[in-house]
Amino acid sequence: MKKIVVSVLGYDRPGIVASVSKVMFENRCNIEDVSQTILQTEFAGVFIASIPEELQEEDLLSCLEERLAPMDLSVLLKPMRAVGDWMAPERAPFVLTTRGPDRLGLVVGITEVMVRFGINITNLKAVFRGGEDPLRNIMIYEVDIPLETDHHGFREALQERARELGLEFNLQHRDIFEAIHRI
Amino acid sequence: MLSRREVLSTVEMLKSEHLDVRTVTLGISLFDCASHDPEHFKKNIRDKIRLVAQGLVRTCNEVGDRYGVPVVNKRIAVSPIAVAAGSFAPSEMVHIARTMDHAAEEVGIDFIGGFSALVEKGFARGDRALIEAIPEALATTERVCASVNVASTRAGINMDAVWLMGRTIKEAARLTEKSNGIACAKLCVFANIPQDVPFMAGAYLGVGEPDAVINVGVSGPGVVKKAIDRARAANPRLDLGQLSDIIKKTAFKVTRVGELIGRQVALGLNVPFGVVDLSLAPTPNVGDSVGEIFQSLGLKSIGVPGSTALLALLNDAVKKGGAFASSYVGGLSGAFIPVSEDRNIAEAVRKGHLSLAKLEAMTSVCSVGLDMVVMPGDTSAETIAAIIADEMAIGVINNKTTAARLIPVPGKIAGEKAFFGGLLGEATIIPIPGDGGSKEFISLGGSIPAPTRSLIN
Repeated sequence: MKKIVVSVLGYDRPGIVASVSKVMFENRCNIEDVSQTILQTEFAGVFIASIPEELQEEDLLSCLEERLAPMDLSVLLKPMRAVGDWMAPERAPFVLTTRGPDRLGLVVGITEVMVRFGINITNLKAVFRGGEDPLRNIMIYEVDIPLETDHHGFREALQERARELGLEFNLQHRDIFEAIHRI
Repeated sequence: MLSRREVLSTVEMLKSEHLDVRTVTLGISLFDCASHDPEHFKKNIRDKIRLVAQGLVRTCNEVGDRYGVPVVNKRIAVSPIAVAAGSFAPSEMVHIARTMDHAAEEVGIDFIGGFSALVEKGFARGDRALIEAIPEALATTERVCASVNVASTRAGINMDAVWLMGRTIKEAARLTEKSNGIACAKLCVFANIPQDVPFMAGAYLGVGEPDAVINVGVSGPGVVKKAIDRARAANPRLDLGQLSDIIKKTAFKVTRVGELIGRQVALGLNVPFGVVDLSLAPTPNVGDSVGEIFQSLGLKSIGVPGSTALLALLNDAVKKGGAFASSYVGGLSGAFIPVSEDRNIAEAVRKGHLSLAKLEAMTSVCSVGLDMVVMPGDTSAETIAAIIADEMAIGVINNKTTAARLIPVPGKIAGEKAFFGGLLGEATIIPIPGDGGSKEFISLGGSIPAPTRSLIN
């Protein structure tokens, strides 16, 4: 059984997921995972599906484009690899939150520090509405920090970068959020 | 995946609502340190405290950093010294207190509790020696805290012990007259003392407890006040039932934080986790006050009519939320109303809104009793003993813990100020009506019998 990844991007409206899944169904593809999000007006969806051996990926992509082009949606399809180049090390889940006035380079400033310490982002929500109000300019990174990472060094590097960028930050183990909000 | 609301509200609780863990207290049994030789005993307790507690501060700080929740106080509670050192004389007890003080300093903590005796039904030799040693022990140490349990629902009230504690408090004040009688701020007299209190000055490790154990005191009242303020701003028509529900949910959150941090510290130190104490403990900081909650719920000040009812609601809601959050709840678990440690309560005394009588009434619906009540220096030992007896009676009859931490400030009269500093704060000296009227009653001595409530088997 082959697996594919399909991503769909475009102006949000009713019927996008219905259209994609209908094409999948017509081609006997079995959807295994779906995730979608909407940022401002834009829909972005990712589908992982297993497809019949005899189905050519180019043919499926043509069907999808034919169905989605009238809705002005872009489609990307690629085969999925069983094993990647990067294997996640043993890790602990943390949440990094930043608040501060909007300016150019906030995301790259913070993520550069993360990559230096081998830290992988597992979920990211960020809003920048401009102006000085810190509550209107927030980044929330859910990250995996490898167990062997130098926590103290990472925290210090973040501290320095946050100061350069005019940001306040909090770095906390994810369990604290679960403990406070979930039964 | 966490929601934005979950993340931001947690960060907000930390940034502006004083969400923290108020105390992580390491209980250490000293029973295996017993010796007939005082020097040997002192060496044993110093070695054991250093061995068990050497990683306490570092572990608390590491866990606090990991979860982004500060552990404000790290403390130690030991077995009652009157039992562990029962064969020693008062002068030797004072030296034991100094050894505890040194050991506490060496492991980097600010208070060590357990210079304690349990005398609700009578005195053993070690109890008398320890109580006699209390004034000098507290006057010549910085970190040692003492407690004496003089009453229980099962045993009644040991009035000889109550009278002795009245005199002991006066002597402790006299020995520290240059610092406003500060030794008395480190001394609690209890009814029904729990064995696992993490809060000072009443913390000690009971005889049924493990060799070492971590007990935790949860965050203070700032989080509760902000939750009430936010809810009332969003909907001014909320009634007391709905507000009680908001307090309950907030207590759930702070209790979960306390237990998570406590369990991680226990894991780091390789000792068992004991209990979460649900008490709302204020500090002298603005925004971290139990008194301010009274104003958030519509009273002009703590102490005005309505205060006892409000405190009952607050205490009940905190317990309900906390009991749902943790299956291991213990210690005092109730709202504290320490006069000098809560700027708002101290102010209520200064303005005359809060009297000794009202404080006593309020202690019938919360856990801790007359706490950090600053009195005129010439208050007689009999009157102090009688105030203790009243407070003990509330505990004994209602089957609950009560305590008295009373400070007669040498040389000062009602209306003057006494400053203690740090977490102990400052307060205006409260008038004590009827001083001198209890002498004959107190001199009768003996024991007030246990109530029928004690016959529960």
